[in-house]
Amino acid sequence: MSELTSIAAAAAAIRARKLSPVEATRECLARIERLDARLRAFITVDADGALAAARRLEAEAGRSAHGALHGVPLALKDLCAVHGMPTSCGTGNPDYFRAERDCTVATRLVTAGAIILGKLNMTELAMGAFGDNPHHGHARNPWNPERCSGGSSSGSGVAVAAGLALGAIGTDTGGSIRLPAGCCGVTGLKPTYGRVSRAGAMALSWSNDHLGPMARSAQDCALMLQVIAGADPLDATASLRAVPDYLAGLEAPIAGIRLGVPENFFFQGVDPEMVAAVRAAAVTLGSLGAEVREIRLPDPQVMNDVTQIISRSESAAIHAGPMRERPADLAAFARGRIELGLQVPAFDYLQALRLRARLARAFAREVWSEVDALALPVIPEPAPPLAAALEGSLEEITARQGRFSRLTRPFNGWGLPALALPCGFSRAGLPLAFQLVGRPFDEAAVLRLGHAYQRATDWHARAPEG
Amino acid sequence: MSDEKLRKAEVADLVGVIERMAGELSLAEEPSRFIAALEGDAAPAPPGPAPSR
Repeated sequence: MSELTSIAAAAAAIRARKLSPVEATRECLARIERLDARLRAFITVDADGALAAARRLEAEAGRSAHGALHGVPLALKDLCAVHGMPTSCGTGNPDYFRAERDCTVATRLVTAGAIILGKLNMTELAMGAFGDNPHHGHARNPWNPERCSGGSSSGSGVAVAAGLALGAIGTDTGGSIRLPAGCCGVTGLKPTYGRVSRAGAMALSWSNDHLGPMARSAQDCALMLQVIAGADPLDATASLRAVPDYLAGLEAPIAGIRLGVPENFFFQGVDPEMVAAVRAAAVTLGSLGAEVREIRLPDPQVMNDVTQIISRSESAAIHAGPMRERPADLAAFARGRIELGLQVPAFDYLQALRLRARLARAFAREVWSEVDALALPVIPEPAPPLAAALEGSLEEITARQGRFSRLTRPFNGWGLPALALPCGFSRAGLPLAFQLVGRPFDEAAVLRLGHAYQRATDWHARAPEG
Repeated sequence: MSDEKLRKAEVADLVGVIERMAGELSLAEEPSRFIAALEGDAAPAPPGPAPSR
């Protein structure tokens, strides 16, 4: 079914009654049935609930105004609370997280007509960059099952890449949307901090957590963001700013947009094939009218350190209680990470929060006066071998994860919108990727740049065999 | 080195960076200024559509 290659195409076909919600849902469920025993993208598949919702939406056809995602099958990372489904957060306890209400993002998607297929695999407690999971099986990269799928929203990346769902919700505290997007060759958006409500999603770090869409294209991410963005009385950190029309701006020309390519940090120690592909992507955007220039950014490693201190402290504050009450829920790695956070003095946590504010102001002052957006690598190498990534002690794995997420984590600290998208394949057949970063709350600009790039290239349209 | 000592060493490295930089902070610099910086530096929002939900 060619309509099932994108959210935009499926939604249009459903509106035109060329495709029914039940057909779309059955197709995704059939792919899950066929592929997911191997891929391990899902923790919970709600086939009955999804088909019941699809039948309900089909019966409504023509009787009421359709939502933007009417009949489109999607899935959620298994840290989003949804009534009637367990929320394991990747732990060994199916009910690790319980919320008083459904996750706001899930409610908004369903209100817009989306069908929820189920809950997706993830790194335990969202603590990790490689996509492994000791309780539910490692989410397998559909381009090569021996390579990392990327974490922590591993199931989200795998499900979208393998066509098990047309889109997915991920969360990103240090790169957890963009790393699996990069490893699996899909498009993922970490919005500005506060653009999307965090209510009803398990917190890892209140100050750094972001929820966002993962899909096959920037256009599909725009469709999902339009539905999920905006103020929420259930999340005091959700911004009150108006939500712009992301779709209307997608087709606008990118001529004149000043696009900065960092000359420091972001290309250092990066795989040569990745460097070449990201630089070629910037050239492509230049040929489409963007004014590409090199720029020196404020030291991202400082923001990496600040963000690590904040995340570790907050994750320990959030999860130490459940760890002490139910230690068997968690594997040794997650327990060790929580213990690490317990070592951070309150004094240093608070100084890190104060420094973050200063660094965010300095970044805005020095960067946005020179450029309107940035283009840079998202993962330092194509998806690495999973077995090698998981070798060694807690400290060795933690250090390896820190290196793998060093290109994404600073933008959690700065709170900026960042879109990861594919820009080629390595000689070994693994996706290459870059990220576009914009001013605060200027998701429209990164989506417009991403859409322009994807209209000029077809990397995002390629799918793994299966 | 034991796991406990390794953990402490790793945290000490991170904390050392924070403490060196924090010496430059003025009394007026508060964590909440992060949100103010984001909202203040945002491009003006164009008019949005009616919510689809």
